[in-house]
Amino acid sequence: MASRKKTLLKVIILGDSSVGKTSLMNQYVNRKFSNQYKATIGADFLTKELTVDDRTVTMQIWDTAGQERFQSLGVAFYRGADCCVLVFDVTAPNTFKSLDSWRDEFLIQASPREPENFPFVLLGNKVDLEPRAISAKRAQQWCQSKNNIPYFETSAKEGLNVEQAFLAIAKNALAQQNSTVDLYNEFPDQIKLTNTQKTSNNGDSCAC
Amino acid sequence: MSTLEVEPGAAPESGLVTTDTLDNFDEMSCSLEEIKNINPSIEDEESNDNAIINEHFDETVSNDNEVASVDDDFELNKDWIGKDKHVFVLSMAGKPIYSRYGNEDKLAWLFGVMQTLVSFIQSSDDCIQSIHAGNTHFVFLVKKPLILVTVSKTRESESQLRIQLNYVFNQITNILTLTRLNKIYEQRQNYDLRRLLSGVERLIDHLLTFSENEPSVMLGAVQCLPLAASVRDTISSAITGACSKIKNLVFAILLANNKLITLVRMKKYCLHPADLHLIFNLVQASESFKNSESWTPLCLPRFDASGFLYGHVSYLSEDCQACLLLLTVERDVFFTLSEAKQKIVEKLRRSNCLEAINESLSTPGESSASAGFVEIRHYLYKCKSTSQFYQPILSPPYTQTKEPLTRIYKRAHHRLHNSSRPLKLMFERSADEAILAWDTKGFELFVVFEPLIDTSAAIMLVGRLLNWIKKKEERLFHLNAPTF
Repeated sequence: MASRKKTLLKVIILGDSSVGKTSLMNQYVNRKFSNQYKATIGADFLTKELTVDDRTVTMQIWDTAGQERFQSLGVAFYRGADCCVLVFDVTAPNTFKSLDSWRDEFLIQASPREPENFPFVLLGNKVDLEPRAISAKRAQQWCQSKNNIPYFETSAKEGLNVEQAFLAIAKNALAQQNSTVDLYNEFPDQIKLTNTQKTSNNGDSCAC
Repeated sequence: MSTLEVEPGAAPESGLVTTDTLDNFDEMSCSLEEIKNINPSIEDEESNDNAIINEHFDETVSNDNEVASVDDDFELNKDWIGKDKHVFVLSMAGKPIYSRYGNEDKLAWLFGVMQTLVSFIQSSDDCIQSIHAGNTHFVFLVKKPLILVTVSKTRESESQLRIQLNYVFNQITNILTLTRLNKIYEQRQNYDLRRLLSGVERLIDHLLTFSENEPSVMLGAVQCLPLAASVRDTISSAITGACSKIKNLVFAILLANNKLITLVRMKKYCLHPADLHLIFNLVQASESFKNSESWTPLCLPRFDASGFLYGHVSYLSEDCQACLLLLTVERDVFFTLSEAKQKIVEKLRRSNCLEAINESLSTPGESSASAGFVEIRHYLYKCKSTSQFYQPILSPPYTQTKEPLTRIYKRAHHRLHNSSRPLKLMFERSADEAILAWDTKGFELFVVFEPLIDTSAAIMLVGRLLNWIKKKEERLFHLNAPTF
């Protein structure tokens, strides 16, 4: 079948509050950074168009609130995601420790068909800051233990690695999409015709 | 008011499902199951090769400071914001499927917001219906696996808007079947449904215009092409004659200019007007049918949302622009139906029916003044039992633009069908016109009068009008419900 040129990917950004999720997104989409911290309420949505191997891809980025009181929106946000971006702050060890629970929570709520192959990307943000608490090696080890999640060290402030990270996110999500057999051929409609007579629609409305 | 014993247009049998206007659209039936057949067959790929219409939204981001700045990649420009009615379709995951205006990719963020609103209310086991802000109505239709939203500044009521959203949902079902739609999302919640709907945007655009402007959608009824009863009968029997031996033919529909000429059906099965509207829309929106015979799968959701019917679609001839659809459950009988079509055309030509159809198509039709009702500007009459309606042609002051008239009818219709306080009869005079709306067991009538008419004159005229329609009913309505 002719595949449509345009592709839309739903990308969820998860991580503890103030690790820089919104800043990463802002840097990526608007090329802007602000030192001011504004907590995300519920979620923010941004759209970014990019080209991956001659394909135009639109990323629908769901920047979620890291604060716990907004977690009730979880199921809604995670449903039907194409990629999940986990973010931690390389200077804050607690944000790294939370990664497991973010990942588990996502897998439970989103319940993707093949959880072990679901595309995640890990971003260690704020590499411009000192002192560093989580080494690249430690982060990579965690990634390896989770079926080789790609890892990027980023600085939303300096725009370091942000483009590259999001490109990898798009590629990962696309690879996942392409690996699935096209649904169109998977489900031919079988018309099952039987002799049983059921009442046609509105009960007595049909005068025939 | 009326001395008529039987309302005009009523018939003992109807080929159309009887409708109450505010029909419960959640009901879909499964008639295919009932139709006896041999083997379950496997579905072809659809041959919907219609060109993809890419609506390139002018990105004329204005310099005006009130409007979103260029930095925001939103399509919030004045032109877009100023649209009277937006319609959006998205998946439960919040992925865009359709936007009436603008590029849905660029609006992806907005679809996220819509999904969040729906989910937020869902998380407390409730379902969002609508949001009202001044004159703008946000109406939601959450119909698994899709979410449909309209943002409307037209003065249509919430239920009228919801009916339109239902039509959009049905249009998508019409292309995919509900079964496939559900399966797709059961398998992959993140599916980008636009892949399967290329070309369908145009049908939805067309359907929305149709549902806004045609009284047929509001009334849940169809209008017939005026024809002498004998001509209509001859046409029906030509179809029956050519098709009676063909197994599993469910419906034969002949239409022209958005009006029904005849409907022949398999015994026991009726067609719902909402399904017929989808067919009207398909025919009107597809120029390609004019060039050649087509074979197209289509799902009629009110008839059976689970599977396809296959349609042989063709115009009768170069010299008669009526469109014939032969709908069957068999997927490989194109040539049988093509032959049947030829036979039908030959018979119609011999019996001068093609001429009769052409004549009716070329005569402008009667205005209410030319029928002798000078104080009546326009009216809509719907016979409930047969789901058919009649309206005269437009006369001043509505010939320039139909919009005010449509608005008057929609408003009156809403007053009759308002769920909190429905009216049976209303008469209302304004500086511009007077309207009488009347809902009875057998019919629904909306009459627009000159503004100076008084109540008693209006009532008298309505009585006369009903008698006139009754006298003409054989010509204006399809009173038989022929079967193969």
